[in-house]
Amino acid sequence: MPGSRSSTIRIARASARVSPARRRSARCASDTESVYRRPERNLPTVTLPSVEFVIKPQVRRERASVRRKYVRRHRVLLAFLIAVGFVLSGAVGALAYFMPAIVTAIQDTGQSLVRSSPKASTAASPSASASAAATQPPVVAPPGNPFTVLLLGSDNDAKFGGTVLTQSMILARVNPTTRKVVMESIPRDLWVPLSTGGSAKIDAAYLHGGASAAVATVEQDFHIHIDHYAWIGLLGLVNLINEVGGIDVVATNPVMDDFYPADLSGKNPYAYERVAVLPGPQHMNGGEALMYVRSRHGDLRSDFGRSQRQQQVLLALRAKAKLLGIADLPDIATAMANDFSTDMSISQIASLLPIASNVQLQNVQQVILAPPYSSSGTVANQDVLLPDWSLILPETHRFFPAV
Amino acid sequence: MRAQSIRRVVTVVTLLALMAGFGYGVNRLIASRKSKIPTQATVFIPTGTRAKIVLPGTLYLAQNGELYRLSDGFFTNLHLSVAQGQWMQPAYVPGTQDIVAVLRASEYSDLYLLDGQGGIVRQLSHNATNQIPNVWLNHWMFWPRFGADGKLYFSYDQPKSGTFAVDFNVWSGSLTGALANRQLTDSNAYTGGDVNPVPLSNGSVMYSRYAIGSGNVFSLIALQSPALRNPVLLTTPAQDCGQPAPSRDGTMVAMVCIGGTGLQSTRLEVAPLVGNTLGTPRVLVNNCLCSAPAWAPDGSGLVYFNPADSSGHFELWWIKGALAAATTSPAVQVTTNLDFDATSPPSWSPLATIPTMSR
Repeated sequence: MPGSRSSTIRIARASARVSPARRRSARCASDTESVYRRPERNLPTVTLPSVEFVIKPQVRRERASVRRKYVRRHRVLLAFLIAVGFVLSGAVGALAYFMPAIVTAIQDTGQSLVRSSPKASTAASPSASASAAATQPPVVAPPGNPFTVLLLGSDNDAKFGGTVLTQSMILARVNPTTRKVVMESIPRDLWVPLSTGGSAKIDAAYLHGGASAAVATVEQDFHIHIDHYAWIGLLGLVNLINEVGGIDVVATNPVMDDFYPADLSGKNPYAYERVAVLPGPQHMNGGEALMYVRSRHGDLRSDFGRSQRQQQVLLALRAKAKLLGIADLPDIATAMANDFSTDMSISQIASLLPIASNVQLQNVQQVILAPPYSSSGTVANQDVLLPDWSLILPETHRFFPAV
Repeated sequence: MRAQSIRRVVTVVTLLALMAGFGYGVNRLIASRKSKIPTQATVFIPTGTRAKIVLPGTLYLAQNGELYRLSDGFFTNLHLSVAQGQWMQPAYVPGTQDIVAVLRASEYSDLYLLDGQGGIVRQLSHNATNQIPNVWLNHWMFWPRFGADGKLYFSYDQPKSGTFAVDFNVWSGSLTGALANRQLTDSNAYTGGDVNPVPLSNGSVMYSRYAIGSGNVFSLIALQSPALRNPVLLTTPAQDCGQPAPSRDGTMVAMVCIGGTGLQSTRLEVAPLVGNTLGTPRVLVNNCLCSAPAWAPDGSGLVYFNPADSSGHFELWWIKGALAAATTSPAVQVTTNLDFDATSPPSWSPLATIPTMSR
């Protein structure tokens, strides 16, 4: 019987090839068959119409199919819900991590900047400009185009009671395409017409009208357009530098000061402390860096020397910022909370970070408006710096487009 | 039925726990992506490490306000109290195991004579005022170095003019008489003054002299002899060199220059010294944060500080044969995971250390 043996083998092989789904289907069919056969075995007791014996298996099959579909859908839904649960819990974990950065982003970034109309902001009549101040939508450079940022730094310690001057004003022109940066320090004692009316040292612009007035004053006096501003307080700078692990600075000279304000370290904000930053390369923490950029009494160049050191520390910070990633944002946000504000959105700040890290040191040009751009003088019993606009404006417009 | 309910509850609770764990895991995963900026916590104590190279003689160094001795490749902590300030800028007393060092407090600094094994022999200066609020009555003393004449040379913020100017001048004195006995230099006002004095065997003093010109501050290496006369300037404002370290035989000078670096880095250079003239300098290390060079007592090379990575923590480096031109070996990192005080130049005694006696 070689023929039958071979056919048995074929059947066995065929049955081995049957898929599990078909096996389940076959099992189901045999069940239906047994149900179908049962009435045949009990013919005398059959009372139901024969048609019922024909339909019932189909109904059961449909019910079983529906149940299978239901179970399958239920399982899919359950799996989906579990997946959503995991995704949500992951999102909550990430949200919790970035919460400080989100809070800071909401509170400190995207600040509105009230701009006076060009007509109102003519340097000739600053008093008129205040009364004619009108808001207009900010005109900012499109992404990828060169833009100008006004960097502001303030003594915002206890003795100022919330009204602060800007000890540091740095205009920065950033060209993302050429990766070149120009930083121009504006002396804090520069005697200028303010956008809010009258004339005063330029550091008072922020005092009278916040960032909007500081931006408007620089725009009207320097005849340039400023796209954005960023303001930082003393503690914000100290905490930021500490957060990045300190900065590496080549101290230009011994920075000596016997009348350095002890407003951050002592109980009396009007007390003094001594400063001696020794010269040469060194690793500075936030407090040491603050002394380095803030002290001016022992420097023949006074505010100009300080401006140079401020730019130096900014570049040292930039070098450290290159090492940071997005996961560092919450710690930095916590460090700078309440001591930082800007009109830039968080996405604009994020887009600036790669630019900052890609700029080579040799592509950073530093400008300080020391004499002959300004000269010492006395106005209203105040020691001030009198600007020579005939020199300042051409120099400024070499890097910052005139408007 | 009940068993099924329990099973369901257990399943739900397990799933919720897993989800919470997943959320926490995501949180920690992001946290682990933070940049690995080395902090002070990653710095080792020198005595827990060993130098990669055994240097001749004994080096005295400062880290985090404490003084260490490096001899035969091993560090020893001098175990001085740091309660009153930070110890820094040690200077060995020639022919002895003693050293003079600076104890820096927040408003003043004083010089102390130490016996080299951790004992304070004598406080040499008293620069703290007892009129506490008048902080300007305090004084600074830094960079002590002994001369061949046995006198101590250092920078001192005296005399003061009663203005805002606080500038260092180089002074000399003796350990037995008045410490600040003789003012040697007259610094440029409002520049920070004259620092890093190093007495030479011919009686003159080499130092960094700060000046301001064209709106910029720069350092010049100067020779002072005799006292209070116009110094001989060995470098130009464009070079902006400081921290001079003359070799023991006085034929070479190592220095740190920042001219043309954009104030963000330094160059370590050496130049031959012939009489009162410095020859053409040779750059040993470029684009670094090199600081505080010091020659080996036997002239076999020099050490300096420079960070090994982006941490900014200063390690000790060694260049062998830097005396002879064109035979300089590459710089070798001597220490790892330390953070020496870069404003505290090492002092290198030719004497090997006497084993520490129990005190």
